[in-house]
Amino acid sequence: MRQSKSSVDWRKITESKLFFPIVALVLILLVDLIIIPNFFQITFQQGHLYGNLIDILRNSTPVIALAIGMTLVIATGGVDLSVGAIMAIVSSVAALLMNPFVLGTQLQAIKNDPTYSYSPFWLVLLLPLIVATICGLWNGLLVAYGKIQPMVATLILMISGRGIAQLITNSQKIQIFYGPFVYIGNGWLLVPFSLYIVAFLCALAWLLTRRTSIGLFIESVGVNARSSLFSGIDEKKVKLFAYMFCGFCAGIAGLIGTSNISTSDATSMGLNLELDAILAVVIGGTLLGAGGRFSLLASVIGALVMQAVTTSMYAIGVSANSILAVKGVVVILLILLYAQQVQDFIRRITGRTKLKETQS
Amino acid sequence: MMQNLGISVSRNRRLLPLSAAIILFFLAYALGAAYLPGMRDTQVFLNLFNQTPYLLVAVVGETLVVISGGIDLSVGGIVALTTTASAALLRGGGEPWPVMLLMLVIGMAMGTIMGYFITYLKVQPFIATLAGMWIGRGLAYTISNESIAIYDPTYVLLQGTKILIPGLSDVATKKGDYITLSVIVALLVLAAAIYMAHYTRFGRTIYSIGGNNGANEQSARLMGLPVNRTKVLVYTFNGFCSALAGIFLSIYTRSGQGLLGNTMELTVIAAVVIGGTALTGGEGYVFGALFGVLITILIQTMIQIQGTLITWWTLIAVGLITLFFIGLQSVIANLKIGQATGRKKRAAMSRRQQALLFGGGAIVVVAVVMFVFSGSNSGSTSAVTPTSSACQLKPFRQDQAAGLMKDGAVIAYERNGGVNCIDEVYGIYSDGRIVGDNGTQKIERQVAPADVDKLLSFISNLGWFTDNMYTASHVPCSVCYTYFTSVAYKGQAKTISCVDGGTDCPAEYWLMTGQLSTILPSFAPAP
Repeated sequence: MRQSKSSVDWRKITESKLFFPIVALVLILLVDLIIIPNFFQITFQQGHLYGNLIDILRNSTPVIALAIGMTLVIATGGVDLSVGAIMAIVSSVAALLMNPFVLGTQLQAIKNDPTYSYSPFWLVLLLPLIVATICGLWNGLLVAYGKIQPMVATLILMISGRGIAQLITNSQKIQIFYGPFVYIGNGWLLVPFSLYIVAFLCALAWLLTRRTSIGLFIESVGVNARSSLFSGIDEKKVKLFAYMFCGFCAGIAGLIGTSNISTSDATSMGLNLELDAILAVVIGGTLLGAGGRFSLLASVIGALVMQAVTTSMYAIGVSANSILAVKGVVVILLILLYAQQVQDFIRRITGRTKLKETQS
Repeated sequence: MMQNLGISVSRNRRLLPLSAAIILFFLAYALGAAYLPGMRDTQVFLNLFNQTPYLLVAVVGETLVVISGGIDLSVGGIVALTTTASAALLRGGGEPWPVMLLMLVIGMAMGTIMGYFITYLKVQPFIATLAGMWIGRGLAYTISNESIAIYDPTYVLLQGTKILIPGLSDVATKKGDYITLSVIVALLVLAAAIYMAHYTRFGRTIYSIGGNNGANEQSARLMGLPVNRTKVLVYTFNGFCSALAGIFLSIYTRSGQGLLGNTMELTVIAAVVIGGTALTGGEGYVFGALFGVLITILIQTMIQIQGTLITWWTLIAVGLITLFFIGLQSVIANLKIGQATGRKKRAAMSRRQQALLFGGGAIVVVAVVMFVFSGSNSGSTSAVTPTSSACQLKPFRQDQAAGLMKDGAVIAYERNGGVNCIDEVYGIYSDGRIVGDNGTQKIERQVAPADVDKLLSFISNLGWFTDNMYTASHVPCSVCYTYFTSVAYKGQAKTISCVDGGTDCPAEYWLMTGQLSTILPSFAPAP
């Protein structure tokens, strides 16, 4: 009896959304353990923790923030390609609020003073987030009320968003010295401060989706929008919410990213990060294009997988640009784990062990 | 009369997005020619084509993929790989024609592999081709981190061959209006793709697979059509087109590097949509690809010739026009639904779609009006010569900069390129004297010596003399600037050059240029 019970648990584990992302993460870390000495070493200096593992966590914070929002959007059966562009807009708006001198005819001296900011700190945080949420609203309106295919609808902002970001700062890169803002992406409280922000965002998303009925609504819309409508769920409002929340998350990611490099960079801020975020969600087992059941935690682990690959490559010594190729190969291998044939194969193995155990 | 028009429109509504694209192109060109004298030159019109070949073949391939209900993001990656690989092979002494053939084979192989993943392993097109893009670009960077110039005589010949247009040129002196050889090849590819899509069994199968959210694919399968084979072949064809685009681009720029074709997939997909192909699949005309590309290039050219708008308006304009065409497509899709479900419902449903179309249209109109007004204001002041649509770079004045350093300057700074093709050299001396020369005028400015000192320590603290700061110079885009900066400080000297518009330069470099521009004098605008 005990044996059969344990085999049921085993099946439950393989069917859990968390199973494959964790397997992938463990596989990558195992490879690191074998080929990179001291990969797992964590040192404690001046009240900070340092090490490759901390690096993975720290560098993945923008993608984690994006992945949380993206999970909800993909769960409604959509996709948001514009998050990278939204990050660029947020970067420009935040930098302009702190240092608006670029709008003058002559670029004035950058104030190299960590206590100086043109606008109060709360405004520097709030306004970019509001702008990001409005960007999400625009996407949501096009998708939910305009009935435009999500990939196309968000493509518009993806293309024009970077141009808008350049217009905001008049094509200038604005350096940021303001201390509190720089702290967001560069501060440490034992672990990097941005981790706390992302943890908070994660908790917020979890509360919203799992402690209210919104999560259920999103899944229901993703599985079948029409029947959700018949059962009294306003499909449009649910979608609108998902896109707005995704915009908000992109705003948080943009603030962290801008603070990380302490510069507004409309050209490369968040460039191709939407692809990383989508992959993180897909690795997390939420179906792209189909929607339905989702798991926030699995998406977060998906984002960690993406970053773990990059950090390991850096540790091995692959050049920054060539990492793309390795990342592509790893993505293909990981996605193959989800292919029907491979899934069936794994199920068959686990099912067979169950059979054997019950027979014995 | 109106009734007849309405009937013919509703009968031929499939042609509506395509005809809208054609009308928009000629309308936009007419508007541009009316307000920007630079647009009236026939060579500028022909240059629209001369700039298209690589984009056009890529859009042709992507159009077929989109019609089959998929999407291919790998275009830019394959372009980067083929340009870099061919440049590296040619540098190593490879024969040009076999190299080109090899590139086409590489492109087709990558396309086929992605097609297999998508068709047989059911990996989503988005993910599989995204991985393809990363692998392509990553391999390109693995081959070379820097731009490789191509000196092969065949490539030089192919780049330089001009096909003179009869009637607009003088054959004896070989001067006059021309198109390049690549344009002819690209148009041939377009013609072949049109034939393939509309007149062969393969083409009809592509149309039958796409659309209706995958349901059509199911029907095609049940009808016994070779769905799997067709899907793989579509991606193979797009791989071929992407590789061809890479070859065109390496002929056009005579160089290869991993950065080429960056974010090209965006432009390509937008051009597919503008060309009237629905991203849902199953609908569209390959011929639309030509006008999708032409409109994109036209916007770019108009903004370049107009001269006062920054180039980023191109992106915004392309986004807005995409919005307009999506609105148009959704109205047409709705007309069809309306006919099936009855008039009453149709009226109710189409109101929203019409609002969308008119909203999008209104934004486009406002943008065009703004553009025209700002254009007419500056048209009289800015002197844009008719033939300067593509920037002819002035020679770099490296010698002059080196002379300044020898003269005792602590910083020599040169900025070259941009929309107006400027070339400015500045020298900063430790006593606070700054001299500038842009070829036509010389300026001088005096600042406090302490400011120069502060600037030098700032630059030094950025890690100027460490390996973190490196040269990332490559062939600049037509509107980009190239920067050359030499700094001498505390016995150390180093020169670093960078091109903006890319992401390969160290971020600190731009902090340096930002800081530097705070003390540099500015030239009076050219008369």
